Amino acid sequence: MDKLLDDIKNNLIAGRVDRQDEGPDGTMEGQPGMRELVQEAIEMGVPPSTIMAQCLNPGMEEVGRLYENGEYLTPDMLAAAESVNTAMTLLEPLLLENNITNNGKFVMATVEGDLHDIGKNIVVTLLRGSGYDIQDLGTSVQADQIVSAIKESQANFLGLSALLTSTMGKMKEVIDKLKEENLREKVKVFIGGAPLTEEYARKIGADFFCEDAFDALNKLNSLKKKK
Amino acid sequence: MQNRKPKNSPFRGLDIQRHSFLSDKDCRLIHEGSCQLLEEVGIGVTHAGAVKLFEKEGATKQNGRMFIPRMIVERSIQQTEKNIVLKALDSTNNLGIEGKNSRVHYGTGGQALYVLDYKDGAFEKKAAVTQDLIDIVRICENLENVDFITRPVEPNVQDEDMDLTKTRIFLENTSKHINLANLIQIEKLPEIISMVQNKELISFIACVLVSPLSMAESTTEKFIRFIQEDIPVAISSCPQAGTTAPLSEVGELMQVNAEVLSALTLANLVRPGAKILYRGIPITSNLHTNVSPRWCQPDSIRRIAIISDMTHFYGIPCCGTAGVSDEKEPNPQAIAEKTLSWIFETASGAQFINSALGMLEQVLTVCPEQYIIDDMVIGRIKQLFLKSPDYNLRDIARTGVEEALSMFGVQMDSAMKEEVSSRINFIFSGQEEYSADHVQAQADLIKKAIISGKSSNVFLKTSRSGLRRGWLYSGKRFEGRLELEDLHLLKTEILDSYGN
Repeated sequence: MDKLLDDIKNNLIAGRVDRQDEGPDGTMEGQPGMRELVQEAIEMGVPPSTIMAQCLNPGMEEVGRLYENGEYLTPDMLAAAESVNTAMTLLEPLLLENNITNNGKFVMATVEGDLHDIGKNIVVTLLRGSGYDIQDLGTSVQADQIVSAIKESQANFLGLSALLTSTMGKMKEVIDKLKEENLREKVKVFIGGAPLTEEYARKIGADFFCEDAFDALNKLNSLKKKK
Repeated sequence: MQNRKPKNSPFRGLDIQRHSFLSDKDCRLIHEGSCQLLEEVGIGVTHAGAVKLFEKEGATKQNGRMFIPRMIVERSIQQTEKNIVLKALDSTNNLGIEGKNSRVHYGTGGQALYVLDYKDGAFEKKAAVTQDLIDIVRICENLENVDFITRPVEPNVQDEDMDLTKTRIFLENTSKHINLANLIQIEKLPEIISMVQNKELISFIACVLVSPLSMAESTTEKFIRFIQEDIPVAISSCPQAGTTAPLSEVGELMQVNAEVLSALTLANLVRPGAKILYRGIPITSNLHTNVSPRWCQPDSIRRIAIISDMTHFYGIPCCGTAGVSDEKEPNPQAIAEKTLSWIFETASGAQFINSALGMLEQVLTVCPEQYIIDDMVIGRIKQLFLKSPDYNLRDIARTGVEEALSMFGVQMDSAMKEEVSSRINFIFSGQEEYSADHVQAQADLIKKAIISGKSSNVFLKTSRSGLRRGWLYSGKRFEGRLELEDLHLLKTEILDSYGN
């Protein structure tokens, strides 16, 4: 069993999802990946808490260390987060039985008129891999739809993304609608995208401007610490 | 400069002997790969008029994607106008853009959000306003090496007044060709045509494509209207390798080519013989940090220059891209990377080099002093090419950067010289095989990315092996302090000459 747990951890570090995954250097296709290995562990009766404690947590710590050292780059972080997502999808039903909760609900959208989704998708993957319950509304989402989603899901966090100068104005529209619906105080609003700045976040009344996905995660972590 | 008008030519521009990175065989492989993508992966199209036009000619739509037969694409390449004259209020400023020739012209680019003001020896960033548009157009009117002016910033007026205000500012302040780039409200087009009186004086840029392989509905509408009016339009597609395209050079080129060809096909369905400038901007993503675009690093410089090989292969006019620095303000790094980018784009024979002057911080910021710096350096680069028609491109690149920095008080030390050589070597070094197998592998990757519905994740993940093979350049910065006081005085002098 120790070898299996090691393989799960190493697959996370390699950022592999399944057998088809080529891995960081393009040579690992055909070897069992996270999906196959976690499934095997579940079938063998390994408790999910053991998989988390002995594979996922130390694996993510190692990935974080490699990133800090500059040995890993953004795509490696994303791959590791996808690998964790794969494990979590299999483990979640078992974890729920044991009442293990997540870090909070996060609604994410690219604002109306904007079809760009690179930044949004990276944030979604990274936060999902970090234990947030993400509802991804997609691209070009109208303010009304975003506010409805917040209302229905009772999310704690909202992430708005825009790449175009012509669409960034829609972010203020969303924040104004949150105020109209008396939801503004219940949700922390994060904004991100190439044309945006800290100053713009202040101007439209968002809580946080995020340079990138890691900045978003750091800001969420600091909020968690303040609690 | 003495080459404002080449001898025996009614037009401005610099005639050069072009340098090719790809052979015709390589270009043919990329073309085949692009046709395969359009036939088998298709292009996302939602604009009803465009769908109708494609379907009428035999393309089929399934799950929101239009599958375009190669025959229609290749017919459109044949139909596209190969020689375009871009006129100016002063006819000595007319530009003759010919797809098979290598007469190079430089102009500005834009929709920057911010302008840097130079005050007391430092730069201050502020939101761009109408007066900035007026000032920049006036400065560029006075700069010898600006052949055409693309709208650098938008006026800060109500949306409904933006397009007419911008057109009026151009007409009042420049005798050069006017590239309005985009319209905020396409309904204003008839008024604009009536305002300029002669529509040959204007051209546009349409960012029709959203990578990977989709068309943006609202821009498609504007694009169709420009083509209906027979106004020249640059079809712009700007994928970022590693996020919206494969990190592989071959994969990104195939994809950007397929994207531009899809819009070029639409243009010729609207109006056979459409006046198109092919603008592919295959840049890379900064996968080392926050995946921001890398406009002026050696990997992007090489890929953008290669696009000109594709346009010459087709004989279609090329709207090139150069000089978009990744730096936030004028500094030695910005001058060095811009200079390399201009030199390789010039050598590529791209006929209409957009964004060449003034731009910083990718495309977010412009700076009046930077326009003057860029004009001076481009002037020097032109002299280098003119001095030796059978030039050695490596020598021109090395000398160009050294002279450009020296013009502003920065002398290169041995470490800087080594860095220049390293960047030049990277630009020359093709790191991938141009083979049918590699093209097929990249086509499969693009297909997988699109089917997954999370294309950026697929491109990011699969970029890891390329990153480890060194496909993204990583080097040292050029440091030092620029002497800019004279430039500031020159700027003030130009603007003061207009009075209020």
